[in-house]
Amino acid sequence: MAKKRKQSEPKSSDPSAKEEELIAPTRPERTLSGYKHKIKVADHPQEEEKQNDSPFFRNKEKILVTCSRRINFRYRHLMLNVVSVLPHCKKDNKVESKESKGATLNELVELRNCSSCLFFECRKQKDLYLWMAKCPNGPSVKFLVNAVHTMEELKLTGNHLKGSRPILTFSSNFDENPHWKLLKEIIVQIFGIPKDHRKAKPYHDHVFVFSIVDDHIWFRNYQISVPHNETDKVDRGGLEKMTLVEVGPRFCLNPIKIFGGSFGGPTLYENPLYISPNQIRALEKKKKAGKYAKKVKAKKRRRMHEETNQLEPDEFADIWKD
Amino acid sequence: MGDYREDESASESELEDEEVRLDEPSKRSIYNKDGLLEKREDISWPDNVEWIHKLTVDVNKEEKVDVNDDLARELVFYTQGLEGTRKAFEKLQKLGLPFLRPSDYYAEMVKTDTHMEKVKSRLLVEKKNIEEAEERRKAREAKKISKEVQAQKTKERSKQKKEEIESVKKWRKQRQKSGFAGGENGEDISLPFEDGKGFERTQKGRRNVAPGDRSGGMGRQGGGKGGKGMDKKRNSRDHRDTKFGFGGRKGMKKQNTADATNEFKGFNKGDFSGSKKRKR
Repeated sequence: MAKKRKQSEPKSSDPSAKEEELIAPTRPERTLSGYKHKIKVADHPQEEEKQNDSPFFRNKEKILVTCSRRINFRYRHLMLNVVSVLPHCKKDNKVESKESKGATLNELVELRNCSSCLFFECRKQKDLYLWMAKCPNGPSVKFLVNAVHTMEELKLTGNHLKGSRPILTFSSNFDENPHWKLLKEIIVQIFGIPKDHRKAKPYHDHVFVFSIVDDHIWFRNYQISVPHNETDKVDRGGLEKMTLVEVGPRFCLNPIKIFGGSFGGPTLYENPLYISPNQIRALEKKKKAGKYAKKVKAKKRRRMHEETNQLEPDEFADIWKD
Repeated sequence: MGDYREDESASESELEDEEVRLDEPSKRSIYNKDGLLEKREDISWPDNVEWIHKLTVDVNKEEKVDVNDDLARELVFYTQGLEGTRKAFEKLQKLGLPFLRPSDYYAEMVKTDTHMEKVKSRLLVEKKNIEEAEERRKAREAKKISKEVQAQKTKERSKQKKEEIESVKKWRKQRQKSGFAGGENGEDISLPFEDGKGFERTQKGRRNVAPGDRSGGMGRQGGGKGGKGMDKKRNSRDHRDTKFGFGGRKGMKKQNTADATNEFKGFNKGDFSGSKKRKR
């Protein structure tokens, strides 16, 4: 193939040659013959690397997705949804959530030839923590997961190809602070599906939204529906008519800590606003428990008050009594 | 449905949990900015990686959103997604790669067909419910109004009737005034409805007719006309029919009327027969 290409190159004029460098796999001379539809980008990875000026880059990200034992069904479904939208992940058995889980997980990741890990840790059957880790040498992040909605919910009416590459959109406040920057990088690497991945489909029909609101990262997944007749061009005015339909899942990540290593290492960031859900529950319980004590106290105070300032005897008390 | 509602409530309670949090950030928390940036450098891809590998789009966010306002929050996410997709699609279009799914490309989807069927049926049920509620509401309102409408209609009808009678009277007056009235014999055309009697039937020609007889003696007239040259038998039959009645209700006929009691016509005739009976 490459030989053929060299022969055809001198024929084309200079600007088109330049274009060729930018858009390696399309090969504009051949598009007129209708040949382009048969070419899949995935078929020519080697050619592409030759065309690139930059040193060859290939995204070989693989993600291990697993969860702790005794996970809630809801959270397990969330995990399965995540697995279904990430074709470059490997799902593994449940892991016992212990103090030493970091080491076991690292081992597991290495064993499965992965470069990063998503670990869904469920505690007390109600709190879900999500670890995102780059293995083997960090960093890793621990999130508290809130407001979970799975794909099974019937109000989420969208649908998209399994394994199509999503467009990742980030709100601009990801670039404000160093820890958000780091998180963005991690998210891009984990949630971005490698180009030309074996299981990835060549079209883009959904979009991930990562947005920071209220110091939490909110995740949404939308299907893109846009009027089009051709595969490489939207109809005129189609961009205005474009609509999104939510596919799910939904969740909200509250970053707790960022570590230097994978599942451990020096702490680089601690969320100053974070309270663990345990503390919240304890606080609420205390509030409820205090109700009776407060009543008793109030009664006591009233009695004291009545004793100290007694009513004067009323001089007109028996005026009508005769 | 039940599940779904439960889910909703669960997530809401989670949201509530979220509200309770530290008011001011604790000062002891670690924030190693240099370390974070360094780590980022470590893991990040080379700078000159083409965009097609990343597919990331940054979208400006202008205003602050209230997290607890679900609609506003979702709208922000939606607009972010929409803007990002527009930007990305423009870029993809420039690259000239095929990026839109052709209509004949079938492949596995994230949600199964059975699930999508469920989604569809739920949408339909929702739509139906809305329509039914709308119909019920309309019917209720129509019921409220219908009484008023009925009253108005009867009112209108009576008014119209009155007006018509009035107009006819007016016309007559005018006619009288103009001297044309009455024609040659100076009589009015008496219209039956004027004296309020309405269209009653005239009693003319019903003299010898029983009150309940609906043939009203007309039977005889008609018969007489037609049967002038006919046999006697027929004539007498007609006569008797008119006298005693033929058809019609019997009840009225068998009662005495004022005319019948005052008439002595038939008394002298059969004197003997009557006395005969008495004698016996």
